[in-house]
Amino acid sequence: GCWFPSLVPQDILYRSSLCRKLQAGKSGATLDFAKQLGYFFVDHPEDAFGSLGHLLHKNFYLGNSKLKRPARNSTIRMTALVEDINRLEARRGCPRQHLASRLRWFSHLCRDWLFEVPLGLLADCLHEELMQQWSNLLFDDSFTGGALAWLPPEDGGTPMGRLVHPGGQAMNHLYFQDVVLEELPRAQGSPQQFELSGRIRQVAAARVDGQDFVGVRSDYHCGVWRVPGKTGAAPAPLQVIRTDMPASCLTVSPHLPGELSVCTQSGTIYLWSIETGLQQLRHDPHTMFFRDYSPWRWSDFTAHPRVLSCADRTGLQCLDARAPKRCHFDLFKVGEEAGCQQGERVVLPMYLGRAHPSQYLVTTQFSVYVLDERLPLVPVLKWTHMMKAPPLFAHLLPGKPGRSHKVLLGASRTQELLLLQYRVSFWGVSSGGSQSACQLAGTPQKLHNISGCLQHLPTQLPHHHHMLQQRLTAPAAGLAAMLQEDGLHKSMLVFQLSEAGDVFSQRLTHKASEPPAPPSRDEATTAPGSSPLFEAPDSSPQGLGTAALRYRRWLRAFSRACREPPRHTWSPSLSQRRLFTHRDLEGPAGPSSLQKQMRQRLRQTMRERGRIQCWEPLALRPPPLPQTLEPAGGPDPLSTRLTAAWAGDWEQWWEERTSFSVAQRQRALRERRRRQKRAKSRRSLSASFTSSLTYQSELSELSDVGPQLLSPSRPPVLSQESSPPASTPPLHSFPISPAPDEALLSSQSLRCRGIPKERRKTLRDYLSVWAEGPPEPPEPLGSQASQLCIPSQSQLSSASQPRRKRPRMGF
Amino acid sequence: SSNEHKLNFKKSKEACLSYIQDALLQKQWKRAAEFLTCYVESLEKDYSREHIGPSEMIWRIGTEILWHHSQSSMKEFNCFMEQMKTLGVKRYLKVCLEHVFHLLCNGQIDEAYQNLSLAESWRFGEQTVIQDKEMKLIQAYRGLLDYYSWSKQKNILLEHGEDGFSDLAVEQEMHGYFRKAAVNLKEIIKIPGVWDVFVKCYVDLLEFYGDHNEARQVLNEYAYNSKFPANPNAHVYLYQFLKRQGESKKSLISALKILHDIVPSHELMIDFNTMLQKSKKRKKRRLGLEVIFTALDYAGWKENAKAWSCLAGQVKQIVISEKHLDWIKQEWNSRKDWWPAFHFSRYLAKRNWQENKNLSYEKALVAGLLLGKDCKYFKYVSHQGCKAQLKRFRMLRKFVNKHNLVYLKISG
Repeated sequence: GCWFPSLVPQDILYRSSLCRKLQAGKSGATLDFAKQLGYFFVDHPEDAFGSLGHLLHKNFYLGNSKLKRPARNSTIRMTALVEDINRLEARRGCPRQHLASRLRWFSHLCRDWLFEVPLGLLADCLHEELMQQWSNLLFDDSFTGGALAWLPPEDGGTPMGRLVHPGGQAMNHLYFQDVVLEELPRAQGSPQQFELSGRIRQVAAARVDGQDFVGVRSDYHCGVWRVPGKTGAAPAPLQVIRTDMPASCLTVSPHLPGELSVCTQSGTIYLWSIETGLQQLRHDPHTMFFRDYSPWRWSDFTAHPRVLSCADRTGLQCLDARAPKRCHFDLFKVGEEAGCQQGERVVLPMYLGRAHPSQYLVTTQFSVYVLDERLPLVPVLKWTHMMKAPPLFAHLLPGKPGRSHKVLLGASRTQELLLLQYRVSFWGVSSGGSQSACQLAGTPQKLHNISGCLQHLPTQLPHHHHMLQQRLTAPAAGLAAMLQEDGLHKSMLVFQLSEAGDVFSQRLTHKASEPPAPPSRDEATTAPGSSPLFEAPDSSPQGLGTAALRYRRWLRAFSRACREPPRHTWSPSLSQRRLFTHRDLEGPAGPSSLQKQMRQRLRQTMRERGRIQCWEPLALRPPPLPQTLEPAGGPDPLSTRLTAAWAGDWEQWWEERTSFSVAQRQRALRERRRRQKRAKSRRSLSASFTSSLTYQSELSELSDVGPQLLSPSRPPVLSQESSPPASTPPLHSFPISPAPDEALLSSQSLRCRGIPKERRKTLRDYLSVWAEGPPEPPEPLGSQASQLCIPSQSQLSSASQPRRKRPRMGF
Repeated sequence: SSNEHKLNFKKSKEACLSYIQDALLQKQWKRAAEFLTCYVESLEKDYSREHIGPSEMIWRIGTEILWHHSQSSMKEFNCFMEQMKTLGVKRYLKVCLEHVFHLLCNGQIDEAYQNLSLAESWRFGEQTVIQDKEMKLIQAYRGLLDYYSWSKQKNILLEHGEDGFSDLAVEQEMHGYFRKAAVNLKEIIKIPGVWDVFVKCYVDLLEFYGDHNEARQVLNEYAYNSKFPANPNAHVYLYQFLKRQGESKKSLISALKILHDIVPSHELMIDFNTMLQKSKKRKKRRLGLEVIFTALDYAGWKENAKAWSCLAGQVKQIVISEKHLDWIKQEWNSRKDWWPAFHFSRYLAKRNWQENKNLSYEKALVAGLLLGKDCKYFKYVSHQGCKAQLKRFRMLRKFVNKHNLVYLKISG
């Protein structure tokens, strides 16, 4: 099927003729910050200025005609502003400033209060996000390690293996596909599928005791599957962990079953054992050898099952899991010892244990190093790889004793594939006591990349050709390979995964070397072009014969997907000039009966010092919610604001909203910690992750909850939120039970609260969900629950607030 | 405009280079050579301040192409190298060294020697630190070639010596080679670095002429000078030297102790362990147990039958004598949570039994004693052994049954 192409520089770069002129001299890109901010206002108007928009609705005139005298005092004509904006667009950067005076005046007037989220804060967040997106475009290291794994057949078994790779539109489906190794590899049967909750970044696998352990990393979750050695046995998911910071590495131990190592971008390294859980080995947000801002960390196993390597961009260290603070040594340092260039950085380290128990591969953007942990810091092999993009994927194919080992390097953006062979040669005559040095065997060889097969495909319609090209040039996302030997016939099969979820394969066959070459060099040639093994595997190709047929099949599926109407078309454009006719805007002469009714309601509520939950007239409301109790939970921000405004405390309200007072922060923190503790006691797994909410979530949480908690002018009903003094229990609160949700969940307690039977299950479901994970409840249910039955639980109130969408835009 | 021209020139230069790289990586030597002739033009306007300038590129790529090109000859190669030497003065010594390696690979030792001598006499301006280092390397390699000639002469003399006929001229020549080699080799090994070949040759020379003190000093310096990288080979050479000298057990053990500290997975640890076991001192035997346990921690030792038999022997001895069970307990303590999965799984029992009965016997003994008779590994192997009616395995079962309480003591 379909896939969503990832972001391209054109999407976020600033492009205009003026800018081009300005930039002719200097290099560097300008990010189009203003455009993105504009997109946010257009895409999320409710989040941007929902409440004030509603409030000021009357004062913004959207018509075209001139305003009359009395109205002019309190209304501005928006169309004029829009015209001004358009004019400004047309002469971007025009020095005649007076043209924009009206805009300046407007922005000067409104900048501070019009926005739902303070503009400075919003801009900061957007800028941060934009910078991150840009740096990801320049070099995206989240795919380091590759998301393709090959589980080889057991020795002497059938010529069948299994590929593990992600697929689907968002690359969030994990597939275990059986592959029969014939002349060309063939997918057999439909793959085993698992749907995951995030984009799969990395798939790592290792075989221990005849079983394959497959680790899968997405940004905030890591999971591990076990695949029994027998062919056809179903993979079993074992465990999942959640991280607060995106994980940057997941490797599977080749020594002990069910052991993995995990790194997160906060600089933490964990040893993850299925049986004993997580053990934090190191936490250091700074790089090891010199200052280099990069949150990327990597970790792998070494010859000693209790010693792990940990890497950042500046080098590698090995540390003993039994005493990680004390026992460690430097394995590789970007610097003089290894003869590094300026600006050289570690891109991917890999343990070469299957070739030699004490050797390590380290790739940088310039070179490849082989290191021996017995003689650390001095590489035993160095070679400049000349790849255009840094090698993010590597795959080792160990040779038999005396033969060369093969290493495949793969780059993501350029799809480059490089094969190099090296040999561990013993020099020194001593009896088994000498250090070994390595030697490249033969010259490195470039293999075909995915986009290279375009020329072998039949001619297409131009636009099909373009789409096909786009699809085939999608960045590579993984690499796997295997050696096959039947008698004299030796060959190597290379699989390559693209970001669109296609898996391609190519076979390299061994030919006897030519006379002038060194005697035992492996001369490998590739078959012309690569062949797509199968497309994004929702349609499983079966019983395909030749490569050409495969292509035809894949192409057919591809063009079918192309013909489907594209998912996201341009948003319809409307002329704002004539948005409303004059008559549309002509309001009724006097207040309608509805308005009268509303006013009456409002007055009544004010008298009762209560508040109005829902503004719609009773007749228009959806079937009434089972509102049996006083709505005492958190009101939505708009209501609070209105309440404050009506009470005359607008100023104070605003103060509190913009600058959160210390007490409130403390309360929020305390609350969070309490929640963490509860979560810890429930889930031992995620317990060892330090739960730190990000800046973003903090912001949204506080801005939602804050004012209600603190507002001194709040009506007494609201005061139930903080734990009330014991002597005067509020009218509707229930005694606080030590295990609130257990008590709440029992149907008896639900009944005694007057909750109708058919609602109890929903409520119970909701509460159990809430108890399990961080609360992201569906909005209506969430607010309802908090109003219904947890009026006195201060710790629940903020969590069950209807959450506003995060102010960060989705691009 | 000229600016544009320069830009385009730069662009086409880059494109050309990428074509060459492409051809190189696909072994299309002829195509690469053709592109390289175009690339030579880039020397004309070499304003680049890149890490590797065009002239160095041409040298590197040209060497690679000539090395693989089917129609190239040694003569052409030499010619190319001479040109490269004049192309960049700063690189002169590097190019020379590379040239020498090529000559040596082609067996032209005399030409190589000549080239080295020529390079040694080369002077250009003020000597920089890098040049100084490279010059030392050139001299060292010349020393190595002198050593080669020396050992050739030595062999001739030894052969003749057997015939009872000595040649004074040959002997003198040999001594001459010795002097030349010794001077140059001595220099290079003073600089911190990894100089294994040079050190070995130098020590060989010294030992031949009976200068054992100097040899010992050189090896000690190479092993213990903290400015040098922690090179396990240095300790191996020292150990081997001491062994040749017939040194006392004590000094051999202390040499290996340091090797054990640097590389606990070194192959010599078996020798070390055997040596320690023979010792009468309790402390040394204790260390021996630690050495063998530590070695078996490493993945590379997993299937080393000799190491397992060492461990099995020691554990058995301790269990029988019922002394020092606490040694095992201490070693086992830090391993009991992962050795069972690492060494004694049922899968490994099956595989070891199929592949190496000896290994599975030794491992089963250790597993039976450390984990009790109910451990999977022991159970499987002893069952298979008894089924195959092997006497050894029946004895093993009896022995483990008899000492079945040991595992409770060491894990408790």
